[in-house]
Amino acid sequence: MKNKGITLFLIILAVIIVTSVTFDYYFSKPDELPENPYALNINLLEKIDNSKILYTESRNFGLNFTEPSGICFSEGQFFIVGDQKMQIIDTFGKLKGEFKFDQKPTCVYVSTQNIFVGFRKSVSVLNREGLKMNEWNSFSDSSVITSLAEKSGILFVADAGKRIIRKFSLAGNPLGVIEGKTGNDQIHGFIIPSPYFDIAFNEDGELWVVNPGKHALENYTVSGDLRTWWKATSVRIEGFSGCCNPAHFAFLPDGSFVTSEKGTVRIKVYKPSGEFLGVVAAPSRFKENSAAPDLATDNEGNIYALDMDKKMIRQFVKKEK
Amino acid sequence: MLNVNSHKQIRGIEMENSPKNSRRDFIKKGTRLSLLLTLGAVGGIAAKHLTGEKYVWQIDPFKCTQCGRCATSCVMSPSAVKCIHAYDLCGYCDLCGGYLKPDANQRSTAAENQLCPTAAIQRKYIEEPYFEYVIDESLCIGCAKCVKGCTSFGNGSLHLQIIQNRCLNCNECSIARLCPSEAISRVKASNPYKVKGSFTKEGKS
Repeated sequence: MKNKGITLFLIILAVIIVTSVTFDYYFSKPDELPENPYALNINLLEKIDNSKILYTESRNFGLNFTEPSGICFSEGQFFIVGDQKMQIIDTFGKLKGEFKFDQKPTCVYVSTQNIFVGFRKSVSVLNREGLKMNEWNSFSDSSVITSLAEKSGILFVADAGKRIIRKFSLAGNPLGVIEGKTGNDQIHGFIIPSPYFDIAFNEDGELWVVNPGKHALENYTVSGDLRTWWKATSVRIEGFSGCCNPAHFAFLPDGSFVTSEKGTVRIKVYKPSGEFLGVVAAPSRFKENSAAPDLATDNEGNIYALDMDKKMIRQFVKKEK
Repeated sequence: MLNVNSHKQIRGIEMENSPKNSRRDFIKKGTRLSLLLTLGAVGGIAAKHLTGEKYVWQIDPFKCTQCGRCATSCVMSPSAVKCIHAYDLCGYCDLCGGYLKPDANQRSTAAENQLCPTAAIQRKYIEEPYFEYVIDESLCIGCAKCVKGCTSFGNGSLHLQIIQNRCLNCNECSIARLCPSEAISRVKASNPYKVKGSFTKEGKS
């Protein structure tokens, strides 16, 4: 009788222990926990009204890169830099050429005659066949070259580390710098908290520069005088937010701006005057906290985004009405 | 012919006659050996504790998904997890995603615009257009709201760390048990922090 009582007690105890452990196991999982009052929900900012999305993704080109860093589209070919190489790919995705470097390129610009490849603190000049013609090393140790653009025989080099745009002749002679200051009494010119500093010329030959800390796009004369600018600071879809956006931009044939942002990654289009037009790719199209895609466009108004995380070129075409 | 009992008797006589194999000696030797092994093990563990590397709990900021559980799951109240600011990564932004609510009316220090539920971040004007953000550790509850905002909209300079002089270093960390991204693990006490800037995504200090 005594043994039976002990056995019964032990069985009940075992049942209680097993039930407690099972309950704890199933209801203490992170997914099963009640909603956290401190969680910051930014999903609402990432949801985009479908009517604002003006483009659709039409096709992708997978790339043989571990860390792609820059893209340029010229005469029906993509010029992609990253790792320690540059690849030339046609619009069917066929590899047309590959060129090796001894360091990692950060950006690329292709003119009618030359290919300019930017590295952290140097620029290489190649002819269209990929043969190295020149190399410019006259940069500072703190230089971080992030973008290149050429017009009328002058190469403009965006140096995010020094927060200036350097000008060079095609022979490599320095022609001065653009500091982005509107007057001598101004403390600041370009506000660049992280190495995202993009420049480009539009169809009218105007030099546009991102001032990412101010969420602004600024138009300068070749001599470095500010002509006009527009800015859009907001966490909403119409504006740019965070420390340094837009990270990259490109021009459509009609002069509209295509911008890409880091943090909450999104690609948008703005009128030449700076008014928000619509969305090319919503944040849901990208991995969370992925790098801002570099951009390129073609003469037909198609937009090409270099997705650094998925290692591919993503083509976006305008939706038909 | 021997029966079973007589067989046992013979074995017993043989055992008693053989001093090396006696049961009493076997038990004595076994007990001594067990005690010796136990003593050695205890001594070894004690020596390891005295001379070996100690381990503490820490958060890998690159794995953290800012779920907010650090504020509610720590046995300490307020949590031993606090926000750390890597100033060398900060953009000193006016529109700081870690300081201001996403739908803030204006960029000011008004309470209605602040993201932090305990007003633990101080915004200081440096020079146009730069602002410095300083964490008041005594007010921070480790909710990671600012970290989420900074990571989503900024450089990710704000991040969480377990403050070792506040942590009880529990045998099983109650936050680590619930962390959805398994960002909390034991690290050597000689290098107890994984502060962004010196600690990289690849885990190199």
